[in-house]
Amino acid sequence: MTPDLQALDMLRDSAADVVARSADLRRLRARRGTLPGFDPAPWQQMVDLGWSGILVPEAQGGLGLGLTEMATVLQQLGRGLMADPLPAVALATRVLSHAAGWPGAADRLAMVTQGRNLPVVAWQEGLGGIDAAAIATQALPDGKGWRLSGSKRFVAGAAAAAGFIVSARCGNGAALFWVDADAPGLQLDHEWRADQTPCGLFALDGVHVDPDQCIGQDLAPLQRALDEAAVLASAEMLGVMEAALQMALAYLRTRVQFGQPIGSFQALQHKAADLYVQQELLRAVLQDALRTFDGGADRAAQALVASRCKARASDAGLRVTREVIQLHGAIGYTDEHDAGLYLKRALVLSAWLGNASAHRARFAALQDEAAAV
Amino acid sequence: MNAATPARDWNDLGDEDFRRAAADFFGTHVPPHLRFLSRRPRWAEVRDWYLTMSRHGWLVPAWPVEHGGMGLSQSKVLIYMEELERSGAPRVMDQGLMNLGPVLIARGTPEQRARFLPAILAGEHTWCQGYSEPNAGSDLASLRTEARIEGDQFVINGQKIWTSVAFDATHMFALVRTDKTVKKQAGISFVMIDLRQPGVTVRPIRNIAGHDELCEVFLDDVRTPLANLVGELNGGWQVAKTLLGFERIWSGSPRQSTLALLRLQKLAQASGKMDDPVFRDRCTQITLDVLDAASAYERFAQIMRTGGSFGFEVSMLKIWATETCQRVTELMVEAAGDLGGLSGDVDVAGESMDILYPFLDCRAFTIYGGSSQVQRNILVKNVLDLPSRGTA
Repeated sequence: MTPDLQALDMLRDSAADVVARSADLRRLRARRGTLPGFDPAPWQQMVDLGWSGILVPEAQGGLGLGLTEMATVLQQLGRGLMADPLPAVALATRVLSHAAGWPGAADRLAMVTQGRNLPVVAWQEGLGGIDAAAIATQALPDGKGWRLSGSKRFVAGAAAAAGFIVSARCGNGAALFWVDADAPGLQLDHEWRADQTPCGLFALDGVHVDPDQCIGQDLAPLQRALDEAAVLASAEMLGVMEAALQMALAYLRTRVQFGQPIGSFQALQHKAADLYVQQELLRAVLQDALRTFDGGADRAAQALVASRCKARASDAGLRVTREVIQLHGAIGYTDEHDAGLYLKRALVLSAWLGNASAHRARFAALQDEAAAV
Repeated sequence: MNAATPARDWNDLGDEDFRRAAADFFGTHVPPHLRFLSRRPRWAEVRDWYLTMSRHGWLVPAWPVEHGGMGLSQSKVLIYMEELERSGAPRVMDQGLMNLGPVLIARGTPEQRARFLPAILAGEHTWCQGYSEPNAGSDLASLRTEARIEGDQFVINGQKIWTSVAFDATHMFALVRTDKTVKKQAGISFVMIDLRQPGVTVRPIRNIAGHDELCEVFLDDVRTPLANLVGELNGGWQVAKTLLGFERIWSGSPRQSTLALLRLQKLAQASGKMDDPVFRDRCTQITLDVLDAASAYERFAQIMRTGGSFGFEVSMLKIWATETCQRVTELMVEAAGDLGGLSGDVDVAGESMDILYPFLDCRAFTIYGGSSQVQRNILVKNVLDLPSRGTA
């Protein structure tokens, strides 16, 4: 699929416009530590604009577009620190799209388009990590289906979700199940991420699922979706970096010390140039990754570029937002200043779906696999 | 022109097919004794290889077909370079191919193109670049080598320095001062000079790697016809900038860091270092840095290919590509352990390699062609829009 460049420009402008009108860091501060962790009014606006359905096939009322379009929107929303819950919903959307054989997928996808009864994915446990198969949650047959027991953690978007795509060991392999948020035996709690938005922590105590809730008998749809979501998270990270660096550059131009704008000092100038280099590197890798995915490259190439992209995004995003604190001096260290908000979102995005070390290790392992073939 | 091989449109091939064709050509034709040299060979050693490439139509990837090039798109030029380097082919006299050729094709007269391009393809003319002077380095426009007009000739006096392989060059293209009364950039002309005449003295400068690649070139009453002026009189700065337009992206290509990475991987495999998880992570990190450099290069190359233009933001390419290359060679020295303290070719589990040469050689990359610091200044001023001193 080749993205329509003119349509992409319009989408970008439209997203930039929403950010310009609706981004509100004061309200974001007030929302810290509360559920569901995002502002419902702008979210409804995004749904009305069709963005929740960007990745949903047209048959389910979506726009049937590619990752490039979703990345364009997320990059802009990232600039306004207002992407949630779109990234988590996008991950679930991709799992459902890849599990097209599951009869329940169509209804779930249609509801994503309408922005209600949202699905999210509960795939990690314990200390996390990016190996989707490293799970202990068990699905045991109970005659009428299965009973799921175990725990799930780091579930982004859980507070607003109507149901979860849950991975579990099943027989000799692993499978994906649909679990409604109000299912008996499911206990949902929250942990607070670096930016004080919630992520779900569940206990599953013999949660019954019917046969028609089995999404698929392997994790391939999940693994593929995780790679795609890692690229999308990188797009949001790029937006966060852009906004943070832009803010720092404005400060360097106006803050006067020693009778000079501090941006005239070469030590700070060259630091800013290095941050710009990191930002542009991520832009380039992201473009490569999006082309790889939307161009229909094979899975091996997709996995490699996704890990490369997320490794750069995690590293560069943290570096830029950290250095932006330094460029602001003492005021950047205060809770009152926005620099901290960008750093904390970067911390969330860096860790989510695997940080730089995790993706570097995966990249090396994938390369070894490719070499062994 | 070399018409031994009929011109074909290589761009009709898919990238992977072209890669195979290039790998096949270089694999077959690069002379084994010239592969993976740890020094820049002399012209006498590589002339036959140069002529072989020329004869088969594989000498100049980027020139248009009508001028004897392969007419490759930027992406295929990159593949060409990757496969050339993967084959271990030696560096040839390439200033005519890489720099003067594109300038003449863009700015030269039909006569200049007819006279000089075929001579480059035939290996009759070998070129060096006369830009830097002892007091004109990062501040190139302050150059003082002077050309005065006498009848239908320029008479040139001055000194050029850091001129690569001038001792093997028959010709030099140079920036010279033709007007001392105007702003420094406005009094410079771009001229082509035959070095085979009295008044030309070439003196090699030994570099940090122990090689005599750079030279000083002294010009005392050296003559060149007015017809060897490229572009307008006093328009040399503009001509040089067209060339820089090409060089700005080329100097940021990932080819050197890619080559350095291949060497690092070879060393790591031979020495068993890959089994060390700490080293392995650092090696992966630097691998990703190189691949990301390639993505950044590709982004600008694509803009160029589709007829778009870019501005000073391209400076990020050279900063990242060259500094990444240096980090690769630093990791290589470290991976070599005690062998990293030995000079020249050393034996690594049966593989002979020079550990220090890439490390020493690439110290120059962040200095020439606009140093890393100059590139950052360019970004700061033109892209980041930060103030200069004294603007409070």
